[in-house]
Amino acid sequence: MTEGSSAGGVILKIDRVSKRFPGVLANDAVSVDIEQGEIHCLLGENGAGKTTLADILYGVHHPDDGALYLKGEPLRMSSPKDAIGAGIGMVHQHFEFVPPMSVLENVIIGAHSKQWLDMGQARRRLQELFDTYDVRVDPDAEVGRLSVGEQQWIEIFKTLYFGLEILILDEPTAVLTPQGVEQLFGILRRMRENGLTVILITHKLNEVMEISDRVTVLRRGKVVDTVDTADVTRQDLARMMVGRDVVFTVENEGGTPGGLLLEVDEIHVESESGRGSLEGLSLTVREGEIVGVAGVSGNGQNALFDALVGVREPSSGEIRLGGGSIVGLSARKIASLGVASVPGDRIRQGLVMDFRVKENLILGRHRSKPYASWGLLRRRPVDGFAKQSIDEFEIMTPSAAHVTRTLSGGNLQKVIMARELSQAPKLLVVHQPTRGLDVGAAEYVRRRLIQERDKGAGVLLMSEDLDEIFNLSDRIAVIYEGRIMAETRPGDTDLEEIGLWMAGISSEPDAAGASASSGNGAAGE
Amino acid sequence: MSAPPPPKQSPLWSMLMQPGAGWRFERRLYTGPVREFAAVIIAIGISVAAAGLLVAVAGAGVLEAFRGMYEGAFGTRDSALETLVQATPLIMTGLAAAIAFRASIWNIGGEGQFYAGAAGAWWVSDLLADLRPAPLLFVFMFLGAALAGALWASIASVLKAVFKTNEILTTVMLNFVMFFVLSWLLAGPWRSPNTFYYQTERMADVTFLPRFTTDSRLHWGFAIAVLTAVLVYFILRKTPLGYEIRGLGANPVASRYKGANVGVLIITVMAISGAVAGLGGAGELLGLHHRLQLDIAVGAGFTGIIIALVARLHPLGVVVAAVAFGALINGSTAVQVVTGIPAALVQVIEGMTLVFVLLAAVAARYRIVRTSVSHG
Amino acid sequence: MGEILTHLLTPAVIIGILAGAVRIATPLLLAALGEMVSENSGILNLSIEGTMTLGAFAGFMAMSWYENLWMGLLMAVVSGMLFSLIMALMTVTVKVNQVVAGLALNILGIGFAFFWFRSSFQDRSSLDVPTVPTFDTADIPGLSRIPVVGEVLFSQHWLTYFAFLMVPMVWILLNKTRYGLELRSIGHNPEACDMRGINIVPRQYAAVVFGGAMAGLGGVFLSLASTGMFFPDIAAGRGWIALAIVIFGNWRASWILWGSLFFGLIDALQLSLQAKGLSLPFFGDDYQVFLALPFVFTIVALVLNRSRSRSPLSLAIPYHRGER
Repeated sequence: MTEGSSAGGVILKIDRVSKRFPGVLANDAVSVDIEQGEIHCLLGENGAGKTTLADILYGVHHPDDGALYLKGEPLRMSSPKDAIGAGIGMVHQHFEFVPPMSVLENVIIGAHSKQWLDMGQARRRLQELFDTYDVRVDPDAEVGRLSVGEQQWIEIFKTLYFGLEILILDEPTAVLTPQGVEQLFGILRRMRENGLTVILITHKLNEVMEISDRVTVLRRGKVVDTVDTADVTRQDLARMMVGRDVVFTVENEGGTPGGLLLEVDEIHVESESGRGSLEGLSLTVREGEIVGVAGVSGNGQNALFDALVGVREPSSGEIRLGGGSIVGLSARKIASLGVASVPGDRIRQGLVMDFRVKENLILGRHRSKPYASWGLLRRRPVDGFAKQSIDEFEIMTPSAAHVTRTLSGGNLQKVIMARELSQAPKLLVVHQPTRGLDVGAAEYVRRRLIQERDKGAGVLLMSEDLDEIFNLSDRIAVIYEGRIMAETRPGDTDLEEIGLWMAGISSEPDAAGASASSGNGAAGE
Repeated sequence: MSAPPPPKQSPLWSMLMQPGAGWRFERRLYTGPVREFAAVIIAIGISVAAAGLLVAVAGAGVLEAFRGMYEGAFGTRDSALETLVQATPLIMTGLAAAIAFRASIWNIGGEGQFYAGAAGAWWVSDLLADLRPAPLLFVFMFLGAALAGALWASIASVLKAVFKTNEILTTVMLNFVMFFVLSWLLAGPWRSPNTFYYQTERMADVTFLPRFTTDSRLHWGFAIAVLTAVLVYFILRKTPLGYEIRGLGANPVASRYKGANVGVLIITVMAISGAVAGLGGAGELLGLHHRLQLDIAVGAGFTGIIIALVARLHPLGVVVAAVAFGALINGSTAVQVVTGIPAALVQVIEGMTLVFVLLAAVAARYRIVRTSVSHG
Repeated sequence: MGEILTHLLTPAVIIGILAGAVRIATPLLLAALGEMVSENSGILNLSIEGTMTLGAFAGFMAMSWYENLWMGLLMAVVSGMLFSLIMALMTVTVKVNQVVAGLALNILGIGFAFFWFRSSFQDRSSLDVPTVPTFDTADIPGLSRIPVVGEVLFSQHWLTYFAFLMVPMVWILLNKTRYGLELRSIGHNPEACDMRGINIVPRQYAAVVFGGAMAGLGGVFLSLASTGMFFPDIAAGRGWIALAIVIFGNWRASWILWGSLFFGLIDALQLSLQAKGLSLPFFGDDYQVFLALPFVFTIVALVLNRSRSRSPLSLAIPYHRGER
């Protein structure tokens, strides 16, 4: 056991907890002992049951079977309110704040005991907490306008304000730069010093190795083992997590870039919220090349995706596809020029969940031949294409006529991929293509992207998964505050350098920090 | 800190206030048409029971009232045909609502568009009074009605497409505006000089829609309505436009990302919806009233909304629901005569049926699961 | 046109119009404030028109039974609360689409009031409309003697004073109390509140029921202060206009006050012109055009003032725990 877990003693006992959802056994007799004052990681792939377990610990879900014990006493919870009462706090994967309200207001929601708001007292209390953890945020700032890292601190301080003993964090690093992760871990370590217990949910092995005292590995809802982090290697954990030796990368021999395909030249795109707009972004994609766009979410990836597929028009600048401008063209027209797209939010942007699978497979081409002629939808071509897609992409669905809502996440992505790849696209714009997919499905998606590249398509891959970016890209561009911060090749750089760029810090010693980055750094060769 | 004691609550209380403790509703991934249909049937059953209760409270014999209702609606050949007469405008306004609602466009303006259509038809008949042959005149009158309904609806849809103005409120406001515009036209420019009432001159015989039988009021408007329902069903299921309408209703964001021009689509859907409502107005004018006045099928627009929702937005279901509501309207008059229960009962039953159908439709999406939260 | 101006520029007429504006604004203000609270909790209650109608009816019935105006007031509030309880049940607990639920309850509310009214007075012919005595205006001692201001602001109904008093009250409720902070948070992000241990359901119920009580009061103002009568379309679109006022009042109590007064002014203006029998250019003396004015203005106002900056982010979106 490492230095942190000094106090010892089991503070929270998870005893054979099971939880069933329609069609899945999310937790299968899970038993874990969490010790006082430790940082305990719950490690597992997507779908291993980590988040479900965390939600049970926080009273969001109720175990179908099994029990929880807090300091030896049975712990029964019917809602998060009970968890908070028991001294358990949670920071969710997607943040749970009220964007238009101030930091202070957000922190006191649910934690204010008086009927009349006493903002003065609340402010003093929050400031004390900020001082303890050496954090500087304006209590009156609107939370929606803070940086992602600051927003996460607020999420943590919301729980600290309650005076909790156990903090659960669900995939807290997904949205952070490597440097942001360091800052977060600094706060967590200080919490451990103060005697608090931290449960960290993650699927990232490096983080487990770096911060945790002990780790519990989950696979398909079951506990594989709980081990002291000091006793295991990264490879050990990986094997436990996946159940076999892991290939960390998809085979990728690199592309052979051809002629210039996509030119994005100094575009400005407004975003509705004011955050994540493009401020003069330039980049290029060649035929037969995968360009990875790395960056923390919220730095303009959505706006770039929207501008390229024709949903949002740049206020200035130029986008050329094969030499011709596509600015101002409709989404339908751009698609017909050979641009296919896999959106970041597949359920909201990519699919109509109430449609049948076969209807989703022709979404966007429902007006063109062979699916429509003489103003009518043609049943036979639609069915034929659906059958072909389901076979080729191994989409798990009882039939093509089933409602899309009933499919699992990986299969939803396969429906989108089948649709988008069917027309032999010239340019493929993909955003977060493997987020939330299990290893198998993610591998499949990555392999298809490489396949398309090898067939000569240009691929613009926006991803927050740096391993994915390094694995797939022929060229890497780093996006920061609506511009390309820097551009490089996977062989010429490392994680740390990319991380600095993602945080807006230029690697040249003479550059004057974040805001001084130049948009011209993006020009290709 | 120790665990708080488990809440002691009745199952009903937990289900209402804290879905999650003790008993839980679990959402099904997919409801399926059979369950949805069963839910509607159960809801109608509950509404009938509630209506009976209301009749009893109002101090009349329940069975007597129900028998009166049935006799009045279907008891004789005449009453059955009259039920279809009542159903005719409701089919059209119901379809109008169903199309728009399918696209998640909340067109509450069926009433105004219905009257706009009637006014349009009358205006064309006045303008082209000498146009022959008669079928050509009919074509133009119906065209005028469809156009008038579509244009009136377009005020709201253009504002929605361009300014994102809430169409619920604008269509409601436009209903009121249409009422006053029509009042003004009928009080002034279009008023018949030969009458004390706010109405136009009686129209020429050539503009009368033919009737199916000589001894009933059932006119071709009914056939037009049923035909329209089939057409709407066909459009929604078998054409790219219908596909886009359903897509827009279920997920406007994905529709936009996959190339639908949402603004144009909103305007198109509202135009179709308004045109159908307008045609309904023309049908009533040319089939029954033969003069434009303020009380041709009052409330048909609102009843159409209920019908569309009770029919779960299914075009053919709209026909069935409209006939049922037509029977209700027709039967309630008989009930009033027999038992003295005011015919306003219809509106209460309509409202109740809708509320129960909505509740049942959601209920069908869930199953109740007992959770073993209380162990420890 | 000149005739209209001469009429409107008479001091007595101006005072009359302004006093009328304040009076006419009362039911709008009551209903809009209540709706604003409900919408702040994330529940869009479209059934205001129906609730007002029911409130007007309940007040009228209670008055004709007990011959006590305050009893009428009480019954209107109670009926508004009970009716909006159905709305809360449908939208908060069962999570029916809020638009559809609101439409359904409008129809049910108006239908129910109409049915019961007809049942109670079925022996009368339709021309023999039952009437009841109404509230008198209550001059505020001293203040009502101030020239102009006194006549406009301090010679009104008790309900009018109450409505104006509710403007700061609602503001304090939403901005200075724990409950208000929680309510606004729920309207923006119910999941965040749920995760903070705030029980959303009773708070949304309370907000919706408060809205119902206010709409009931707005309704009873029509039957027991303005007319002394009940008829099925007594609300005459005011519930819908109240909904519009919330939107272009941008969910702020003070702007909702100005919005209500604006509509009161338009209505008072058209009533004054109509009463005087003055004719408009082009439309002549057809008063229907005047009557359409508030509705046309509502549309125009909705288009012109589209700032949604304070709109609750989760308005009309049902919250299911654990479903994202």
